[in-house]
Amino acid sequence: MAHFDTEYQRLEASYSDSPPGEENLLVHVPEGSKSQWHHIENLDLFFQRVYNLHQKNGFTCMLLGEIFELVQLVFVVTFTVFLANCVDYDILFANKLVNHTDSSKVTLPDAFLPVDVCSARIHDNVFVIFILVISGVFWLHRLVKFIYNVCCYWEIRSFYINALKMSMAELPYFTWQEVQARIIEIQKEHQICIHKKELTELDIYHRILRFKNYMVAMVNKSLLPIRFRLPFLGDSVFYTRGLKYNFELIFFWGPGSLFENEWSLKSEYKRGGNRLELADRLSSRILWIGIANLLLCPVILIWQILYAFFSYTEVIKREPGILGARCWSLYGRCYLRHFNELDHELMSRLSKGYKASSKYMNCFMSPLLTVVAKNVAFFAGSILAVLIALTIYDEDVLAVEHVLSSITLLGVCITVCRSFIPDKHMVFCPEQLLKVILAHIHYMPDHWQGNAHRYETRDEFAQLFQYKAVFILEELLSPVITPFILIFCLRRKSLEIIDFFRNFTVEVVGVGDTCSFAQMDVRQHGHPAWMSAGKTEASIYQQAEDGKTELSLMHFAITNPQWQPPRESTHFISQLKEKVHREATGGQQGTAAENHAFTSTHSLQSESEPRSLIANLLAGPPSLASLHLGRDSSIINHLSIGVSEGTSALRSLSPLSTSLHLRGSFPSARLPRPDHPAVAAGRAMAGSGTDARTVSSGSSAWEGQLTSLVLSEYASTEMSIHALYMHEMHKQQSRGELSRHTWHRQESDESSESVHDDVEAIRNLPRSSTFPFATTPSQEGAGLQSSSQRRYGGTTESLCGGPRVQRTARMPMGGWSEEPHTGRHHDPVPEEGSEDELPPHIHKVT
Amino acid sequence: MNCRSEVLEVSLEGRQVDEALLALLHTILLHRSTGKFHYKKEGTYSIGTVGTQDIDCDFIDFTFVRVSSDELDRVIRKAVAEFKDALGNSGSDGMGQISLEFYQKKKSRWPFSDECIPWEVWTIKVNVVNLANEQERQICREKVGEKLGEKVINIVEVINRHEYLPKMPTQSEVDNVFDTSLKDVQPYLYKITYQITDSLGTSVSTTMRRLIKDTLAL
Repeated sequence: MAHFDTEYQRLEASYSDSPPGEENLLVHVPEGSKSQWHHIENLDLFFQRVYNLHQKNGFTCMLLGEIFELVQLVFVVTFTVFLANCVDYDILFANKLVNHTDSSKVTLPDAFLPVDVCSARIHDNVFVIFILVISGVFWLHRLVKFIYNVCCYWEIRSFYINALKMSMAELPYFTWQEVQARIIEIQKEHQICIHKKELTELDIYHRILRFKNYMVAMVNKSLLPIRFRLPFLGDSVFYTRGLKYNFELIFFWGPGSLFENEWSLKSEYKRGGNRLELADRLSSRILWIGIANLLLCPVILIWQILYAFFSYTEVIKREPGILGARCWSLYGRCYLRHFNELDHELMSRLSKGYKASSKYMNCFMSPLLTVVAKNVAFFAGSILAVLIALTIYDEDVLAVEHVLSSITLLGVCITVCRSFIPDKHMVFCPEQLLKVILAHIHYMPDHWQGNAHRYETRDEFAQLFQYKAVFILEELLSPVITPFILIFCLRRKSLEIIDFFRNFTVEVVGVGDTCSFAQMDVRQHGHPAWMSAGKTEASIYQQAEDGKTELSLMHFAITNPQWQPPRESTHFISQLKEKVHREATGGQQGTAAENHAFTSTHSLQSESEPRSLIANLLAGPPSLASLHLGRDSSIINHLSIGVSEGTSALRSLSPLSTSLHLRGSFPSARLPRPDHPAVAAGRAMAGSGTDARTVSSGSSAWEGQLTSLVLSEYASTEMSIHALYMHEMHKQQSRGELSRHTWHRQESDESSESVHDDVEAIRNLPRSSTFPFATTPSQEGAGLQSSSQRRYGGTTESLCGGPRVQRTARMPMGGWSEEPHTGRHHDPVPEEGSEDELPPHIHKVT
Repeated sequence: MNCRSEVLEVSLEGRQVDEALLALLHTILLHRSTGKFHYKKEGTYSIGTVGTQDIDCDFIDFTFVRVSSDELDRVIRKAVAEFKDALGNSGSDGMGQISLEFYQKKKSRWPFSDECIPWEVWTIKVNVVNLANEQERQICREKVGEKLGEKVINIVEVINRHEYLPKMPTQSEVDNVFDTSLKDVQPYLYKITYQITDSLGTSVSTTMRRLIKDTLAL
């Protein structure tokens, strides 16, 4: 009826206003495309560039850095050629006399050969010409790339300035989370991505980290051949930049790779039908790439050696201790990385763990070596002292042959020796140190716990945290070893790789094909031994190892408090948070296991501020009102000062609740608190999980810079607590159940079984979801929680019996929070279904 | 990637290919065309009128509506005819796909050519079947008609969803969004491409282009 009304009125209006015959019945105003940022073609690249520009601190820094890299390259090559061909070493070493007329001093220019001789020598040497040509081509390639990059990044720069309203000067002081919030905000007006009205944080992460997530997942499922059992060295890991580059070349972007373009897997790889044929094709590709590597090996090797020489010699001379220092290995970075964790997040986490880790490694000084080193250092030291004393007395001593070199050598020798002598004041407490490390790195194999003092543990940790010297050595060896790994190890895995990409790729609307692990869906990839019992429906093949799904989910939720997870994940997060907070408050007697960790953390690492702060909190001094006020009063003023219990203070640490306070939209923040703060906190947290996010996503997306920085700092602490807690729970669970379990192992895929080694197999022993949690009587609240867990497990179990819920498990989950796009993908090829009976399936996410 | 893609699939007899494809393409274009814009001085514009026209198919029990623009019809017919020829010549079992891609142009600075960024791609997969006798043809004739009706409703549903469309341009930018070459109607910029099943694997040119792009983006 309303329809008729309007039509009637319109007719009348048109008659009265503009009589027929006149041309402009209706006049429109063009919206015009005011911004050029709508509908960007390649969002993956776009977001990656936005991120890179942010990480490199703005356009100028980046430009300068790139230019210097180009210059460096020219320098390295020309300088090497010059040293090899244009220097008369006889003059330098004074084996030949210079016939100068005026002075007897030898100057540096004297040692240079004349230009014509020099160029003649270069012309005659085919090898040098060859190197020059190769590096020339390489350099030109870099130059073209550089120019291309400048053009692209110029666009990103104007995106920052015009769309995000951030000037390049202040860019280094914005956190990534702020930049991201602004991107999400402008999506609403510019429609960068046309599939959705709104972007989520996860979409952006997915796009930036698409391939990295695959790599993390492949390392997690031990698919890549990077662990080797060598005859003398035992179990060792070899993963270098060259190898990584080759993996990426093969899988993601090289010619004929599995991916069609940045965002979609080729369709034939999504079907199970001809997996054998595809595996054959992949293995022959790997063979070719391996052979190409072999052919290019000399060139790469020379380059690596030159590069290492020029970049490390100076450093080693300046501080020889660097060889004894350690760094996180490439494998470690892959193993420790969460799904959806950006580079800077990972690096800051690992850097925080660095000190504790090197302390831990230093605990294991060999006593024998120490004795030897002490004495060598003594003798070397005495000679050095005499030489130095003599030099101070009369510097002509330096002119004596080899005095300067022996001083340098002795110095190096002493530094090396000193690195073998443990600190006098160090205490051997590996177990506690490992706990502290765990708080930062978040992952560690189960069998480390309780075995921290053993050499095996140390050796395994050394795989993650290797000597810098070993790192350099591996990089140097990499060009030689890489082709063989490709040809002999990776090729054998080609079928598994094909299966992996088919089974673990989901198509998310607005994002494209991503690794399904990166969805962090507890139900699809959860591991029952990692607190997702009863929630997960994953077979062993689908479970992420080491609790990666669960920890990644927590990590992502904590670093991106605005993100709105899907329903099950929200449930998981809030449940976990609730438990952690209950533990935190309940454990004031010091019974809860992770409380031990914190007090020890406190004593070990009092230099890191937030940690000791939390330790204080947990130990229970009620003097936190000041902190509470300090953080909140700047933003709101209605918070009562009377709330000074440990819990509430802890809560205020959580970025979630702060964002609540910021918006003042959380009713219970203003309500008088119940007498038992623990319960209240738990409930509040559970509620806040959903409320805060929905509210905040709608309101203005960014606050003052300070707040966000503060938030992100505390977020990492909060994550540490959760990681420790989850490991603790996991330990208790697996301890409790080692005695009783034999469960349908037959569900596992045969390919997955071959992958796991024994240790992992023990860890992976599946458990029934109804299995009760191990309860420690001393933990208050634990009983309650276990019973609720059991009930939950029970209900899902019974539900899962019905076919209806089974289907919901298969139901697409992905483009979360968006309206369901039904009928979006008309699955056009009906016979696909029949091919899909092969192992799992590819989930279509719509 | 940043573009919607819709897939339609039809299986029909060889002589029906023309009409079926015309029906689908015209239906899509009907909803993706406007009247000509007449810009005024003060930056506003008015939209000209577009007529529609019912077309009856000879080989299918089906009638569809198209924009009554002979020029547009000629362009589409040409593309469809080419596709049909290629399909006939391919010698394979008559599988192919034709896609209608709507894009917009983005002006870029001098060293690069203008980018054409697609925002919606309709892919119609065609499967040609051979029928034995007149009886079957009769059935097929009806069936294909029904199928086409469903597809048309499907298309309308998709188009009715409130999703991204390029913003209405100002006079200077109108060529970046609309195809202004036709006299009586103004569709969004579109491109019709086709592939026969044999060459469904990546063609040489795309591989080469990717290689160059990859080396640049290293």
